[in-house]
Amino acid sequence: MRAKHAAMIATIAAVLGLVFAGYSTYDYAQQLDRQVHAVHCSFIPGAPVSSDADNPCKAALFSTYSAIFRATYWGGVPISLFGLGAFAFFVGFAAYLRIGDRRLPKSAYPTFVLLALGPLAVSILMFTISVTHLHALCKLCVGVYSASTVIFLASLVGWRAHAADVGAAGGSRPVGWWTPPLAFAALGASSLLPAIVYVSLLPDYRPMLDKCGKLATTSDPHHGLLKIRTTHPLRAVTLFEDPLCPTCKAFHERLVDEGVFEQLDVTMAMFPLDSECNWMLDRALHPGACVLAKAVICGGNDKARMILEWAYEQQDMLREAGKQGAGPLAAKVTERWGHEIGQCVTGKQVEIQLNQELHFAANNHIPVSTPQMFLGDERICDEDTDLGLRYTMAQLAPEVLRD
Amino acid sequence: MTNENRRVASATELVDPPQHETPAREPGSGRAALLGAVIGLALLLTGTGAVASMVGAAKGRLTAPAAAAAAQAVAVADDAEAPYCTPAFKQVLQRVLNACGLVGGDQRRGCQPADVKTFASITDDDFNALFTPLKNRGAVLMFDDGQDVLDAPAKKLLDERWLDRKGARYFFVVARASRDGTTDKNRALSHKRANSVLFHLKESFQDPDLDSQVGMLWLGSEFAQLSDAYCEWQTSRPGIKRCTPEAINRSAFASWVDCRL
Repeated sequence: MRAKHAAMIATIAAVLGLVFAGYSTYDYAQQLDRQVHAVHCSFIPGAPVSSDADNPCKAALFSTYSAIFRATYWGGVPISLFGLGAFAFFVGFAAYLRIGDRRLPKSAYPTFVLLALGPLAVSILMFTISVTHLHALCKLCVGVYSASTVIFLASLVGWRAHAADVGAAGGSRPVGWWTPPLAFAALGASSLLPAIVYVSLLPDYRPMLDKCGKLATTSDPHHGLLKIRTTHPLRAVTLFEDPLCPTCKAFHERLVDEGVFEQLDVTMAMFPLDSECNWMLDRALHPGACVLAKAVICGGNDKARMILEWAYEQQDMLREAGKQGAGPLAAKVTERWGHEIGQCVTGKQVEIQLNQELHFAANNHIPVSTPQMFLGDERICDEDTDLGLRYTMAQLAPEVLRD
Repeated sequence: MTNENRRVASATELVDPPQHETPAREPGSGRAALLGAVIGLALLLTGTGAVASMVGAAKGRLTAPAAAAAAQAVAVADDAEAPYCTPAFKQVLQRVLNACGLVGGDQRRGCQPADVKTFASITDDDFNALFTPLKNRGAVLMFDDGQDVLDAPAKKLLDERWLDRKGARYFFVVARASRDGTTDKNRALSHKRANSVLFHLKESFQDPDLDSQVGMLWLGSEFAQLSDAYCEWQTSRPGIKRCTPEAINRSAFASWVDCRL
């Protein structure tokens, strides 16, 4: 392969990387209006947004790894922005290599190889995080990883081919000492420019953070709410959770990943979106959630967190069991947590306690949705429980953010 | 140099010069750098402009009235509201709440027949008909003649009903006496029967909210007497041999009411 072919391949890969980073950025920026949006999740540029509510691209987008400076800016600065700028640079640089071909200075290809290491390293890091933490690979992300890899490989091939081409032509090329610093500076500026513009145009979210209501009463005369043990309880929160709610699972994992959960003094109320026990619904959104909510309550203050986290980990399996009725689900609970918890789940006392927790929700007239988090008596807006969580915590409860 | 000798380089040659040409001319490299920079810069500015547009559009939607309207369309947690909660039913119950001490911090608890007659403004049959939808939700706790003590089956049934709260906020106790005896005696007896229910609930459950949940009416024998048709309702004495109108009125009807009042 000749150097110009390698440069051409690098150019095409950089263009594709630019497109994937562009879609990823678009999906992220859509969320800035604090409304719910579908996201793109396809290897085909221009394919419509995915209607699948739990697609891997959404998981990646809402993960803690999708942006930086999340405590400073609402939603943070998405890393795809840096990719957008970087790929624009690489398109230009690869085009330069393709056009310049044998007239290029000696430093051109080595510089390209060196610079291509950057996106490759970031891609390897993000790929590892996707596999080990998110347990899912988002197609847009894979597109970016692939583009970065191809650019790097093409740069290596091009470097070697270019040396051979120049050698065969019998000429000598100038070193081009200016190429590395100029290219580094250009890559840095390109990578930063979209992020700087993005940050400078972000709305001021601070006035919106405390506009989502309050708890009318935080007292629980029946003592039916659960107190969850954490290592450094610095700030009182009340959480309303549903063990079969995917958003609750994601929210819980986010709190844990952010290091926030252990800093909270957690009071938890079960709020299963299942009409079997929750009169506020005319149909079960999460069949079986009542059984699992009772299992969590049966765990008491000591085991409630373990049972809830087990329910989140096994959510897909438990959701299927729940569709078959309370019996199979209760059997799963007994199988995992023993007869004591299993018997408790079918008992009258836990039914009463769950009912008290539901009345606690009714007395406070909270929205019928999960999860919900109240910092003291201040309700954290739903929109601030995912992308904006760290920013919101930094504004309203900075002491719970781990250094 | 003649026109014939003047040779214009093709685009291909500019990009990929022939092998025999010396490749060491700096202007060629500089032009490539310039073209590359222009391409890269154009893409960068286009991308950055698109980012600015995306953020601007999101900012616009953030402050759009449609967003606020959509946000307000979420259901709010509240007490249950069953289909039997007709305006007439709720009106009577609301009056009970207001007049009988559950609302407004009034120390008085319960309503006597004169009160009921005044605030209900309703005939006996219409008053009883209001409670018909509670046939399966509530229970008739029966007492012995002239007595106000709850027997074991009555306590058991009352406990079951109390624990089957679901989404209800208020628990109503409507106590009566049969027409045997004087009006004053029956008025006092029905009052005691209502209190027996209340005291049992207090002793058994020690619910801190109980005082704001239980509404009591004692009707004596002068208002809204039950017919023997109510013997078919769930009673604490299902095996009774002769369920007469007198027997069914020696009772207290107790039920959660699934209405928002």
